[in-house]
Amino acid sequence: MSQRSGGRSPLPSVNRRMVLGAGAGSLATLLAGCGSPVATGLFGAAPPTRTLTYWNLFAGGDGANMQTMEDAYRKAHPDVRLDSTVLSWGTPYYTKLSLATSGGAPPDVAVVHLSRLDTLAKAGLVSSLSPDELANAGLPTDNFTPAALQKATVDGTVRAVPLDTHPFVMFYNVEVCRKAGLLDGSGKLKPINGPQELTAALRAAQRVTGQYGGVVTITNDPSTNWRFFATLYYQLGGTVVADSGTRITLDDDKAVQALTFMQSLTRSGLLPKSVDPGGTTSLFSTGKAGFLFDGEWQIPTYRDTPVRFDVVPVPHVFGPKLVAFADSHSLVIPRNGAMDAERRSIALGFIKSLLDSSMTWAQGGHIPAWLPVRESPEFDKLRPQANYVEAATAARYDPPGWYSGAGSQFENIVGAAVAASQTTSQTPAGAVRAMRSGLQPYVTAIPPVG
Amino acid sequence: MATTIIDDGVSAARVTSAGNRSGPRDEHRAGWLLSLPFLVLYLLFLVGPAVYGIVMSFFNATTVRPGLGKAVGLDNYRSILTSSDFWSSMGHTVWFTTLTTPPLVILALFFALLAERLHRAKALVRFIFFAPFVLPVTSVTLIFLWLYAPEVGLVPHWFEAVGLPPPNLLGETKWAFISVAALTVWWTVGFNFVLFLAGLQEVPRDVYEAAAIDGANPVRTLTGIVLPLLRPTVVLVTMLQILASMQIFNQMYLMTAGGPGTSTRPVMEFIYDTGFSDYRAGYAAAATMVYFALVLVVSLVWFLLRRQSNKEVGA
Amino acid sequence: MSTPPNALDYNGRSRVFKIFSALVLAVFAIIWIVPMAFAVDTSLKPEAEIAANPTNWWSDHFSLAAYRKVIDGTPILTWYLNSFIIAALTVILTVAVTSMIGFALAQTRFAGRGGVFAFVLAGLLIPGQILALPLYQIIQSMHLLNTYWAMVLPAAAAPIAVFIFESFFSGLPRELIEAARIDGASWFGVYWRVCLPLCRPAISAVSIFTFVGSWNNFLWPLLVLSNVKQMTIPVGMSAVTGGFGILYAQLMATAVLGALPLFVVFLLFQRHIVQGVARTGIK
Repeated sequence: MSQRSGGRSPLPSVNRRMVLGAGAGSLATLLAGCGSPVATGLFGAAPPTRTLTYWNLFAGGDGANMQTMEDAYRKAHPDVRLDSTVLSWGTPYYTKLSLATSGGAPPDVAVVHLSRLDTLAKAGLVSSLSPDELANAGLPTDNFTPAALQKATVDGTVRAVPLDTHPFVMFYNVEVCRKAGLLDGSGKLKPINGPQELTAALRAAQRVTGQYGGVVTITNDPSTNWRFFATLYYQLGGTVVADSGTRITLDDDKAVQALTFMQSLTRSGLLPKSVDPGGTTSLFSTGKAGFLFDGEWQIPTYRDTPVRFDVVPVPHVFGPKLVAFADSHSLVIPRNGAMDAERRSIALGFIKSLLDSSMTWAQGGHIPAWLPVRESPEFDKLRPQANYVEAATAARYDPPGWYSGAGSQFENIVGAAVAASQTTSQTPAGAVRAMRSGLQPYVTAIPPVG
Repeated sequence: MATTIIDDGVSAARVTSAGNRSGPRDEHRAGWLLSLPFLVLYLLFLVGPAVYGIVMSFFNATTVRPGLGKAVGLDNYRSILTSSDFWSSMGHTVWFTTLTTPPLVILALFFALLAERLHRAKALVRFIFFAPFVLPVTSVTLIFLWLYAPEVGLVPHWFEAVGLPPPNLLGETKWAFISVAALTVWWTVGFNFVLFLAGLQEVPRDVYEAAAIDGANPVRTLTGIVLPLLRPTVVLVTMLQILASMQIFNQMYLMTAGGPGTSTRPVMEFIYDTGFSDYRAGYAAAATMVYFALVLVVSLVWFLLRRQSNKEVGA
Repeated sequence: MSTPPNALDYNGRSRVFKIFSALVLAVFAIIWIVPMAFAVDTSLKPEAEIAANPTNWWSDHFSLAAYRKVIDGTPILTWYLNSFIIAALTVILTVAVTSMIGFALAQTRFAGRGGVFAFVLAGLLIPGQILALPLYQIIQSMHLLNTYWAMVLPAAAAPIAVFIFESFFSGLPRELIEAARIDGASWFGVYWRVCLPLCRPAISAVSIFTFVGSWNNFLWPLLVLSNVKQMTIPVGMSAVTGGFGILYAQLMATAVLGALPLFVVFLLFQRHIVQGVARTGIK
């Protein structure tokens, strides 16, 4: 098997086509050869060594950037057949990755949110990366954003290579804010501090738009509700669960305080009470809302629309210290008994190549975790990304726990409670009670891993 | 010569089939050998999982690791039976079943009764109603996600066209159930329709003729004669439908993923979420067993009803 | 029995009712066609036009561009192949093992036959996909995940197919078998050469529902086929369409491509398929 697959395919044109897409091959290549899907399906044969399978969950702008980065790798490594697959975002992706890994057929490299890493590592699904191995691959650990690297370390071992930090931020419509007198002389948003100033700014913007001051998605998007809440609640110094998710540490007063402020914005009509992701996009892109609270990954979405906007960290509504709710994408090598040293070094080479393309990745709004790029003058000039670069160092993540992480039950439970408060169908205190009762079964359950 | 004997055999079939009781040794062996391949698969992949599921439900088994893990006694059952998430997912499954079964049975019967009167167009009608049934679920859900898409979809557009504010078809719990139920009716009504058509074919022609001669109007013919004769088929279709609806997972998972929140999550998805996404194999196995018990009760009811109606037909 | 079709105009008096039936059915038929027709329509329109005028049926620029993108951008051809091989293997294995035991139960008198019969009958009470979780563990421990066999072997354990064959074989005259035995045929020979060829309808019914069931199965392949190259059509589609975002022409082209093979098969063998379904009465 390895002799044949080690060399180039005898059919160069077909080979090229297979390289170009995750795509379609001709029936001949599918049926012939030991590494063909049919052979694998019938005999469980492993794919050829110099094929690298890579899974990610990026659609839209991120997806396009990732493809550019993959193409750069392909160009530099024509001898490796990179087989990249985009899977649906969120829990389905992690379920698939977990089942594939425990079923003995994982991808060679996979993208993982750092908020999800703890559970994956404790389940034994990702391999460890020793400092030496990383250094040999050209990835010394001191070249990464410390906050991200720390989150990538589980039980003292690095398990993932951070790619970025992507914080929850505030977008503003430049035209609306200028008319509302919210900009300074250089055309930048004047600093906003404390609940009164934010409310006032939203009110000023509302007078200009005639509709809403700002917008944050509420319907059908528990994660966004959680992120908005987490940003303000973390600013107050609150935590939700501790000890790997086995203890609820909700501070009722602080949670109610954050929710009460958030609800005051929807109750007064400054923010819409019920709006789904599509509605949010349409409100902000058509200037019917002056501010938008969302992840910086939405930057490409609005680049495609006529709206002129800029992005800043979410204001210090509570507390003086900058706290940014964030998550990080990272690259892992899933545990795979059948992976030999050569394959592993190809995998690490691919990871290195992706980090070297961090500037492309940053186009999607993300702050690179790879310091050689993040601290480069080139990134310094990148707007609006450089506006919120300090969010990477002040990043706070989902709490660790087997039911926590991006798109998890934890986010669903807390996010749903926040949404109920935001639509005003529930009081802030009631929403906190809902969080508690929703989390209770998870906190008391015997953890499946760890 | 063989031909002669076979011909003879066919004509004499009914007369002598009672004879020749106990087979010789090799008949015994052949019977077992021919049964064996199926029995092995059956034991491994149907009986095995049922038994193993019961065993797992007493352990803290983890999906991503082999083996059973620590024995936890009845803990899994205790937490499943007190889990509001589990019971509300059971509720969603039952609610989906109540939403889909009546239209899928009544509409299919209605279509079949009407189509029975057509001659040439019958094949066309059958084709149109049955065609969706052969589509893979992912095609169906992709199409309906597009039809239901807020602002841009065809269905919200129709709501606007008749002057109604378009509801949030998948984003609001109440509507999400209706939307997925409507999809299911569109997708699978053809199956029941075909069963009813087959059932109607069994109704002897002279029954209709006699009714027509007696001057009974179509409605009388229907309620007085056809429906009673069709009762076994109605029972069969209803029970099959209940059993199918109770296993709802695919459409719901692909359309709403149980959302908004977990407000439409059916119990099969609860098992999928806890057992596969959360790795809690033992806990999900306990949920499986509780759910299985419920389905078993329905299956048994069907079984008994079928035996009873078979007897009636035979009598 | 031999009534000519025209005599079926048993209630010629209610011609009105017949027209009413046809009209009502026509209305519903249109409703039933719309989703499929609109999907095909959308798949042929340029994305920009869909974005501008989503509910418009007509376009000046119908094209197959979206289909090309889907075929080039996803492993859909590989999925077709996987689906086909899996469904074909499942049909062969299912027909083989269930017809054998069906024959054994119907035509051989072996000791323990009653017990086996009841044992298999009890299997009818176990609805397949409910036991997905323990079955997954068993398949995992057998190291069959991500192979076709993870799909094929469990699907062949179908009690309903056993009873379809059993009832069909029971209808064959005992004398037929005895005659073949006297001629010196082995029991397997009787099953294979004498009885099996006589039960084509049962074979086609079981084959059809097994094939359609395998082709359209979703939950099980979602669990056991996690390698993208190993996936079947329904699962592969659901795994990658998330990456399409709101490119509706491509989404609809995917939906149409996914539906196409079975739809064509259905078009060609409508009568057989419908009869097969009516005969088995199962899903």
